[in-house]
Amino acid sequence: MSTRARVVGIGQRVAGDDGVGLAVLDELRRRSVPEGTELIHLADPMDLVSLLESGDRAVLVDAVLGSTPGRVVELGPEELSRQAPLPASSHGLGAARAIQLAGALSPGGAASRLRVVAVTIHAPDRYRVGLSPEVAAAVPQAADHVLRLLGSRPR
Amino acid sequence: MSERGRGRTRTIQVDYLARVEGEGSLTIKLKGDQATEVRLGIFEPPRFFEAFLRGRAYREAPDLTSRICGICPVAYQMSACHAMEDALGIRLEGPLRELRRLLYAGEWIESHGLHVFLLHAPDFLGYPDAISMAKVHGDWVKKGLRLKKAGNAIVARLGGREIHPINVRVGGFYRAPVKQELEALLPELRWGLGACAECLEWTSGFSFPRLERDYELVALRHPDEYPFCEGRLVSSRGLDAGVHDYDAHFEEEQVSYSNALRSRVRGRGAYLCGPLARFNLNFDRLSPEIQRLASGAGLSVPCRNPFRSILVRLVEMAHAFEEAIRIIEGYAPPAQPFVEVAPRAATGFGATEAPRGLLFHRYALDAEGTITGAKIVPPTSQNQLAMEEDFFQLAAQLSRLPHREATHRAEQAIRNHDPCISCATHFLKLEVERE
Repeated sequence: MSTRARVVGIGQRVAGDDGVGLAVLDELRRRSVPEGTELIHLADPMDLVSLLESGDRAVLVDAVLGSTPGRVVELGPEELSRQAPLPASSHGLGAARAIQLAGALSPGGAASRLRVVAVTIHAPDRYRVGLSPEVAAAVPQAADHVLRLLGSRPR
Repeated sequence: MSERGRGRTRTIQVDYLARVEGEGSLTIKLKGDQATEVRLGIFEPPRFFEAFLRGRAYREAPDLTSRICGICPVAYQMSACHAMEDALGIRLEGPLRELRRLLYAGEWIESHGLHVFLLHAPDFLGYPDAISMAKVHGDWVKKGLRLKKAGNAIVARLGGREIHPINVRVGGFYRAPVKQELEALLPELRWGLGACAECLEWTSGFSFPRLERDYELVALRHPDEYPFCEGRLVSSRGLDAGVHDYDAHFEEEQVSYSNALRSRVRGRGAYLCGPLARFNLNFDRLSPEIQRLASGAGLSVPCRNPFRSILVRLVEMAHAFEEAIRIIEGYAPPAQPFVEVAPRAATGFGATEAPRGLLFHRYALDAEGTITGAKIVPPTSQNQLAMEEDFFQLAAQLSRLPHREATHRAEQAIRNHDPCISCATHFLKLEVERE
C-alpha cells in the first residue's frame, strides 16, 4: 500500500494544550482515515524537513497561540512563515522554519502544498497532561477539517 | 541592530543574536583599532538547577540535569552518572562502558551536524541563515541533515528517543540493546563516515578570517582514547589534574552584566574548552585515518584559529562515526544492563566532553543517597571569558570593516564556539561601540 497522504501531529502531551495536535491524531485513529493515510507524531519539528522531501501530500496539525482558545484555523506555508516567531532554540528548527527549509530544498515539493490545521490555545502549560475544556471541544472539529482536506467526508 | 554615536564613536548592536542557543548580548567598545571593553551578557534567566537538585535522590540527577539542554542531554546524563558512580564507588567496564561511548558518539554527530551545516556554514558562504543557503547549496544542507539524522538514530536506538533519552541510569542502562538492533545502524554510519570526508573537502575551501589566539586549551585526556567520558584534566599550559581536583584549578566569578557565572583558571585567567581544545590536546588519540582526514583538510596541531573550528567539528564527527562503527561491530550485550549501586554518604565528581566542551558535575550525597549539594559547570560558562577576549584581538579587523560586515564577523566569531546560553544560565545581543 503506498502512502498518499501524511497527517503530522506536533506537540507535547505534558504541556497541556500544546498536546492538541496529538489529540487530533488520536481522534483520527478512532475514525477511519482514507486508505494510504499515515498518521505521524513528530517529536522534533526538524524531522518535517525530510518528511516533506517526498511528494506526498501532508497536513500538519499543531497548536497556535490565539486570544480565543479552541478555534480551528487552516493556514498555508506562507501564512505560517509570516507569523513565525523567533525560534525558541537554535538547537533545532521550529515547525515554520523547518517547512521553509524543506521548501528551499525541494521547490514545488510537499512543503508548498502543505496545509496546516491549527487549533488556537492560550499558552502551553508545563508538566500538565490533558487539554483545557475549550481546546478539547475543538478536537472533533479539527479532525473533521483534516478529513475534508484528505478528501474524505467527515462523520 | 543599531548604530550609535558620531565621528569616531560608533555602536553596533544586535538585539538578538541568532543561531546561538539562548538569549544574550555582546557589546564591544572600540577606540581606533583597539577594543577597550567587551561584554558578553547573558540575560536568559537563571534556572536554579543546582538549587532544586538538593533533596532529590541520586538516581534522579541524570534525567533531571539532561533537561538543561535539548541538544546535549546525553552529556548531562553522562557527567551526572560518572559523578554519582564516583561517589558510590563503582566503575563501568566492558560493554556498558562501550554503550555509553556509542550514545555520546550519537550526540556529537547530532550536535556538530546541526552546528556545521545549519548554523555556522551560512556565515562562511555569506547567507543570513540555512534557509537562504539551502536555495543554492541544497545538496550540502541535505547531506548535513542526513548526517545529523544518523546521530539521532543512535541516540534514539540506545536512549529510547532522540531528544532527552530515557534509557540512561546510574550504573548503566535500563535496557541493553541486542546486537541486531545496533547492527541495523551500520549502513548509515558507514555512509556518514564517507560523507564527513566529502564535507571536509568542501568546507576546507571556505575563506577563514585570520585570527591566531594563544588560548589556554583545556580538555580531558585519556591514556588511549579521544575523550568522551573519562580522562584527566589537561591544558596547553601544563595543567594535568584529576577530575577530583577541578575546584582547585578552576574558579567561577559573577559579572554584573550576565546571569551566567564566568570561569577562569585560578591564578591565570581565561581558557577554552570544546572541539578546538580537544583536537589540539588529543590529536594523537585520533586514528591514523581520521588524522589523515584532518591533515587533508589543512588542519594541523597547533590550530589556534577559532574560525577553523568548523573543520574540527567535521573531524570530530568523522571520529564519532568511526568509533560508533567500531563499537557496534565489536558489541556483545552485557550480562546485566546495569551495575547495582548502594547509596552512601560521599561526594562524587564527573567530567565528560559535551559537544561544546568540558561539562563538570559535583554532587554531595547523604547516607540515603539524597543530594545535599550540587555544582554544574557547563562549557559555555567556561568559554565565556575566552569568547570575550577573542574580540580584543579581532578589534583591529572589526574597526576596518563597514558596520554591517563588522557585526556579521562578530556574530560569526561567537558562533565559532557554538555557545549554549541556556546551559550557561546561566546569550546574545551584539553591540559594538566605537570611540
